[in-house]
Amino acid sequence: MLKYIVARSMWAIPTLIFVSFISFVIIQLPPGDFVTAYAAQLRNSGDFISETEEALMRARYGLNDPLLVQYWRWISNIVLHGDFGRSLEWNAAVGDLIWERLGLTLLISTLSMVFTWLIAIPVGVYSATRQYSVFDYVFTVFGFLGKGIPDFLLALVLMWMTYIWLNLDVGGLVSPQFEGQPWDLPKIVNMLSHIWIPLLVLATGGAAGLIRVMRANMLDELRKPYVETAYAQGFGERTVVWRYPVRIALNPFISTVGWALPALFSGDVITAVVLNLPTTGPLLLQALKMQDMYLAGSFILILSVFTVIGTLLSDILLALSDPRIRFS
Amino acid sequence: MLAEQVKAGKLPPVEQRLPEKPTVLQAAEVGKYGGNWQRAYKGPGDRWGPTKLMEERVVKWSQKPGGPLELVPGYISSYSVSADSREFTFTLLKGLKWSDGEPVTTEDVRFWYEDVFMNKDLLASIDQTLAPGGKPMQLEIVDEQTFKVKFEEPYVYFLEILAKDSTGDPSLDRPSFLFPKHYLKQFNNKYASEDELTAAALKFGVEKWTDLWGSKGAATAWWQNPDLPVITAWKIEKPAPGDVVTMVRNPYYYAVDQAGNQLPYIDRISHKLFSDQEAFNLMIVQGQIDMQMRYVEPQDFTFYKENEAKGGYKVHRWTQAQTWSLVPNLNVKDEVLRGLFETSDFREALSVAIDRETVNELIFSGLAEARQASPVSGSPNFDPELETHWAEYDPDKANALLDGVGLDKRDDEGFRLRPDGKRLSIVVEIEHSNGPKTMEVVAANYKDIGVELLPRIIDRTQWDADRDNNEFQMQWYPFDRLSVVAADPRIMMGNDSYAHQYYIWYTTKGASGIEPPADHPIRTLFADWDKAAKAADRKEADAALNDLIKTFVTQGWVIGVVGELPAISVVKDNFKNFPDDLIEDDITRGIGLGATQQMWMAQ
Repeated sequence: MLKYIVARSMWAIPTLIFVSFISFVIIQLPPGDFVTAYAAQLRNSGDFISETEEALMRARYGLNDPLLVQYWRWISNIVLHGDFGRSLEWNAAVGDLIWERLGLTLLISTLSMVFTWLIAIPVGVYSATRQYSVFDYVFTVFGFLGKGIPDFLLALVLMWMTYIWLNLDVGGLVSPQFEGQPWDLPKIVNMLSHIWIPLLVLATGGAAGLIRVMRANMLDELRKPYVETAYAQGFGERTVVWRYPVRIALNPFISTVGWALPALFSGDVITAVVLNLPTTGPLLLQALKMQDMYLAGSFILILSVFTVIGTLLSDILLALSDPRIRFS
Repeated sequence: MLAEQVKAGKLPPVEQRLPEKPTVLQAAEVGKYGGNWQRAYKGPGDRWGPTKLMEERVVKWSQKPGGPLELVPGYISSYSVSADSREFTFTLLKGLKWSDGEPVTTEDVRFWYEDVFMNKDLLASIDQTLAPGGKPMQLEIVDEQTFKVKFEEPYVYFLEILAKDSTGDPSLDRPSFLFPKHYLKQFNNKYASEDELTAAALKFGVEKWTDLWGSKGAATAWWQNPDLPVITAWKIEKPAPGDVVTMVRNPYYYAVDQAGNQLPYIDRISHKLFSDQEAFNLMIVQGQIDMQMRYVEPQDFTFYKENEAKGGYKVHRWTQAQTWSLVPNLNVKDEVLRGLFETSDFREALSVAIDRETVNELIFSGLAEARQASPVSGSPNFDPELETHWAEYDPDKANALLDGVGLDKRDDEGFRLRPDGKRLSIVVEIEHSNGPKTMEVVAANYKDIGVELLPRIIDRTQWDADRDNNEFQMQWYPFDRLSVVAADPRIMMGNDSYAHQYYIWYTTKGASGIEPPADHPIRTLFADWDKAAKAADRKEADAALNDLIKTFVTQGWVIGVVGELPAISVVKDNFKNFPDDLIEDDITRGIGLGATQQMWMAQ
């Protein structure tokens, strides 16, 4: 087992180098560079910067250097100094920008994942054990609806409804008077009154799919002889269902738990943009749009690291939860 | 806020902070101090939002509702222009102070000129607006308050340029001639040693000391460095990257209201970050925005109006100095199309074929005006005849004109054939949110005259790149700077517009770009500007400039569709002294024309 983990970790290094390089290149593929995008943004808001100024900026940011040189400058600083470089747009250290928003992102994503599981697992089990019952159909309909409605649309509708009916201020994570204040009890309470919208939105989308997966897996398992045997032994339904088939049916959840890590980081970008959440998602989107390559590149790099670690984690968890799986 | 600081002994009393004779700004009504003005902003790229709230110039534009634009002195007590328009004399307010209490003198002007503006390490080349004919402006310090700026050639429009662009590089803050020497000399290679400069760069987290300077320089950009002394009404308190960027009152601001109260009235301005337009709109209807013009969009007008009572605000309107226009590319690479675009009758046909009223009703909620791309009302260059030039809807005439230029053959779908036998199609690039809907209407209009219009939605960067590389046929564009044309006639001369390559040829004196044919009317336009730029007296210059505008509009190079749109703002019910009916333009500095210093919030 230990040997396996070490081997997997070694493999992660070339993977990460490759991914970081590719992502850096991809960011630079669209026409123009950061200065073009910046000038376009200025023009959009009714301003010009002169061509001399553009040239000066390019020189200052080293945008005229070959791609490899730019990549090397960036990656060597990360590896040697833990310095992710500077965001050209924000004129601030990438590290400061990312870590500041990461806490809230992790909070929202973790809560929404827990929330999703809390909905999906019981409902999936219920639907499978009561196949074709009225509630099975009801859950199925809701499940498909949840899957079908885009998250951002649901977010907009929810924001609008809470505003019209409850007259709550939505959008953002705290009311304006708490913005920029230190975290204290009233602020946390205020945040809880906001956070349920993103949680609900993210959970409905995620839960719908998981319900179907859970239901299908359970149906497979329930038909197997060991279930029959268990019943024959005289165990009650609750014991039989929750002790064995559920455990097996959870396999896909466990093997994808690793993907939750990068998802935690990128969040649901569009939903976060619509809800005006101070998470990492909108920052990443903007960085890509502006070709702010050090910021965007660092995002993707961290995302890849999370994916690699997450997958490793999944594999270990799976081995622990399902004794039938062995590494050879 | 300040009275408490005076009591605590942190600030001298107000009479010691003001200049001897402070500038009097006539407030709509005398206000009360205090308040936190809440706005929203889109991140660092949106820093013009905060900047335009409080820019300072030696001369600024001012306008009474519906009246003409005029220049008024800013932080100077007086200015004069020599008879030949080569010498401009400015006298600083006596007792004017930086936000840290240090006096502002011509020493700061000298520092700006000698150590920054003419410093090759900081500014490799000087923008031509400040160096007409390649010769940079010259400075003469007369005494502690007075300085002169001189040019070799007459420069009639220099004051207009100062009011818009000020002295430009290296700081985009554009404070007109002033840099706080007592603070900035520690970052300048004429005063600080190499080691000190390196240490300063390290402290601000930039690579080279020159990175401290310039448009986004860590030390000289007002919105990034709270330590930088300024003369603006507010100064930065908490810079980005924070979710809320705040600015706080400058206790040494130089202007007072008619009752002698120091301005501004409002203590603090908070800008909350947002990224999505709908999120911003929700902030408005929830009453979270006290006053804002930027990003308040005419297409959401109905939505804002419906929620006025609930959000406790009112929608106010100014007039935008822009006309939404179709811009054909006179330099397009397709030779047949270029020939057509260069034909006056063809351009006229494209213009009169558009049903502007329908566009206005369907897409702009009837708030705009069907018009040509020409100066807006309120502009000193306004001419009612130019406004309606070729703007009458007349598809029959358009058809006749097209038949007249030899485009009388049609294919089986009814589209006209070009001389080379291909279908007459024009690809129009659109990037703005009103583009797709507008192009539906225009494409239907053009179908009636047998011209196929093919809208393409593209990204803004691609859009700019296509124009720079001469790769577009036509673009849908808000043609702006139609208020004081003298302050920035560039786009009227083809720059970033209908004849970018001709304009490059003109500015590079033939070194690059495309040379217009010998009899091309754009040559008259260029000649008009040469005349206006070098004219010794104002009358002569204005006459030449008006000729330029007339040539531009009557040639119909740009096909204006709708303009004089409202620039709308949301203003909370307790937010006072917001003026109505002014002109919104980059030239007039956006919301700055409304003199935000005199606005106040009832508690």
